[in-house]
Amino acid sequence: MSAIHLQNLVKKFGDFTALKTMDLAIADGEFMALLGPSGCGKSTTMNMIAGMEEPTSGKILFGERDMAGVPMGRRGVGFVFQNYAIFTHMSVRQNLAYGPKMRGAPKAEIDRRVGAIAEMLQLTPLLDRKADRLSVNILQRVAIGRSAIMEPAIFLLDEPLSNVDAAFRAVMRTELKQLQRQFRQTMVYVTHDQLEAMTMADRIAVMDHGVLQQVGTPLEVYNNPANIFVARFIGAPGMNLLRGRPAESDRGLVIDLGALGVTPPLPAEIADAVRGAPGDVLYGFRPEQVTLAEGGRGLSLPVTFVERIGARTIVHLGQGESAVKAVFDNDVGLAIGQTAVVAPAQASVRVFDAATGLAMKAGG
Amino acid sequence: MSPVSATISGDASILEDNSDAARARPVLPDEGSRLGFRLTLPAQILVLFIAVFPLLMQLYISLTDWSPLSGHGWWSAWSLWNNFANYTDLAADARFWSALKRTAIVMIVCVPAEFLLGLALATLFADEFPGKRIFYSILLMPMMVVPAVAGYMFFMLFQSGGPVNDILSALSGFPVTIAWLSDPTLALIAVMVADIWQWTPLMFLILLAGLVGVPEDQIKAATLLGANPWQRFVTIVLPKMKTIIIIALAIRVIENFKIFDTFYIMTGGGPGVATETISVYIYKLTTQDLIWGYVAAIALAILIVLSIAAVFAMKRMARAREVPA
Repeated sequence: MSAIHLQNLVKKFGDFTALKTMDLAIADGEFMALLGPSGCGKSTTMNMIAGMEEPTSGKILFGERDMAGVPMGRRGVGFVFQNYAIFTHMSVRQNLAYGPKMRGAPKAEIDRRVGAIAEMLQLTPLLDRKADRLSVNILQRVAIGRSAIMEPAIFLLDEPLSNVDAAFRAVMRTELKQLQRQFRQTMVYVTHDQLEAMTMADRIAVMDHGVLQQVGTPLEVYNNPANIFVARFIGAPGMNLLRGRPAESDRGLVIDLGALGVTPPLPAEIADAVRGAPGDVLYGFRPEQVTLAEGGRGLSLPVTFVERIGARTIVHLGQGESAVKAVFDNDVGLAIGQTAVVAPAQASVRVFDAATGLAMKAGG
Repeated sequence: MSPVSATISGDASILEDNSDAARARPVLPDEGSRLGFRLTLPAQILVLFIAVFPLLMQLYISLTDWSPLSGHGWWSAWSLWNNFANYTDLAADARFWSALKRTAIVMIVCVPAEFLLGLALATLFADEFPGKRIFYSILLMPMMVVPAVAGYMFFMLFQSGGPVNDILSALSGFPVTIAWLSDPTLALIAVMVADIWQWTPLMFLILLAGLVGVPEDQIKAATLLGANPWQRFVTIVLPKMKTIIIIALAIRVIENFKIFDTFYIMTGGGPGVATETISVYIYKLTTQDLIWGYVAAIALAILIVLSIAAVFAMKRMARAREVPA
C-alpha cells in the first residue's frame, strides 16, 4: 500500500497542454476518483501514474519514492483497462498466473497464489475456461485478480464500467467497491460518470481542460462546489445559476436578478463574502432543493418542459439566461405554459463570482 | 394488372424473407433457396467450366498417350488408352522425383527464410521511425517486379563478371570470378536468393497486418505485469498472430511449389537439371517432349499433394481460431 503525491505535474503533447500543473495527494488506502468530461486530462494523469507516459514536468511520488524513470513494469501498479485487456488466447488460470510466471516465480508458488486469488474472487470453478467468452463481470474479476496477484501498492482503473450496459453497472459498482474493501489498496479510478464517482469514491478530483477544479468527498463537491464548472458538472441536472447583482435591502443582502425580481436575503456567511463584490454574481441553487411557493415569494417563471422519470419529475422553467430546472419527488401537476413560483431552500443557496467563476464564501 | 403486381409483391416478400432468414436461420425456406439457386446459376456454370471441366479433361488425358501431334482431338484420346502407364511411369521417373525433392528443398529453405525476415521487418515497422514511409515503399517493390524481370535481373547479377562477384572482390581484396549459374550447388543458392528477395515483402506485408492487429492494451497489460519485450512477443504477440502466420506460410508453400518464372529465366533448370523444379520439368515436358498425357498425370499428382497440404493448413487454422485467439 502506498500514498500517491502528484507535484506540479504537467503534460504537453506538442502544442497541446493535456494537463496544467496538477497537485494532488492521494492517501494510503484511499479510493480516489478522477472525474471530468472527455479530454479533461484524467486519463493522461492516470497513464503518467502508471508510467505509460512521461510527465513533461513535475513529480510523481509513491510514498516517499520518486517514480521518474521507473518503467511501468516495476512500479508495482495494478492497472484495469477500459475493456479489461484480458489475454483472450489464454485460460482464466493462465491470465491470473501471467504476472508471477513472467517474473519467474516457482510453479508451486504460482499455483498457490492463483488458487488463493481465484478463491477470493470466486473464480475457482472458471479457472480452466478460455477467457474469450466470459461475461463482463467475470472479465472484471479476472482483470482485477490478474493485477491483484502481483500485490500492487496501487490500483488504477480506467473507466472499467463504460462498456457495461446501464442495468448491469449498479451490480458492477457494488462488486468493485467490495473488492476494494477486501484489498484495501490505494485506488485511482478514472471516470466521466459522476454516479460512479459519487457512489464509490472516498474523494473525488474534478477535472476540466487539464485543470484540477476541486478535490473533496462526494458530498463536499456536491454541496460546496468550488466554482461554476463543478456546480454545473456535479448533479443531474447540475446547479441552477442565475446572473444578478448584489443589492442591500432592509432585510439584508439580496441579489437583484433583473426581470426575475429580487432573491430572498442571503444566508449570513455568504452575504459577508458577497457584500461589496464589484461585478455581477451568479446565484446558485440545486434543482433538488426547490419548493413550489404557491402565491408566495419566489422566482416566477413559465414552465417550458416537464420530464417525468417515475420517481422524480424534472420541471424546466424559463429560457436562456433565466433557465431554471426544478426536481420534485412527485408529479406536481405543472403543465407546459403554466407559470410556477419556485423558491430555493435558503441553506442550499451558493453564490459565485460571475467574472472568475469561483464560489464566494466567508474566508474563501 | 393484378397478376403483375402480385408477382412483384410476391418476389419482394421472398427477398425480405431471405434477408431475415440469413440472419435468423441457417436453412433458407424452399422458395428462397430455389430463387437463390436460379440467381447464382450463371456463376455456377462459369465455375464449372473454369474449374471442373479442365480437371476432368486433365484426368481423361492423363489416362492416355495423347499428344497434340497424335493426329486427332483430345476428345477422342480414348483410342490411345494406355492402362495407367503414365502413372506407373511417374512412379519410376527419377527425374520427376529429384525435381520434387529439389522443389521441397527450395521450399524448406525459402519459406522459413522469408518468414523470419518478414517477421523481423514487420516487428521493426510496427514502431515509428524516421523515413518509415519511404523504406516501406522500397521494401514492397520487389514484390511488384514481374517475376520474369526479376529472373533477368538476378541472371545478370550472378554472371561471373557481374555485380555480385564485383562486390565480393571489393570486400575480399581478391578478384572473385565465381561462375554462380554454372555450378549445380551455387546455381540453386542463386535462384533461392532471388526467390527470397522477391517474396519476403509479401510475408512482411501479411505479418505486419497481423502484428498491427494485436491489441495494444493487452501488450500494455503484459508490460505492467512485468513481462519483458521477448516475453511479450512470445506470450502475447505470436499467439495472437497464429492464424495469420498459418495463412502466410500456406500461401508461400503453395506458391513455392509452383515456382517457375525466375528459375526458368535464370538457369533454365540447369546446369543439367540442378535447378529443375517441378514446374520447370513440367514446362519442358509440355513444350519440348510434347507428351501431354504424362504431363497431365504429373500435374494431377501434384494437385492432389497440394490439396492435402491445403486441407491440413486449413484445419490447423480453424483450430487456431477456435481454441486460443
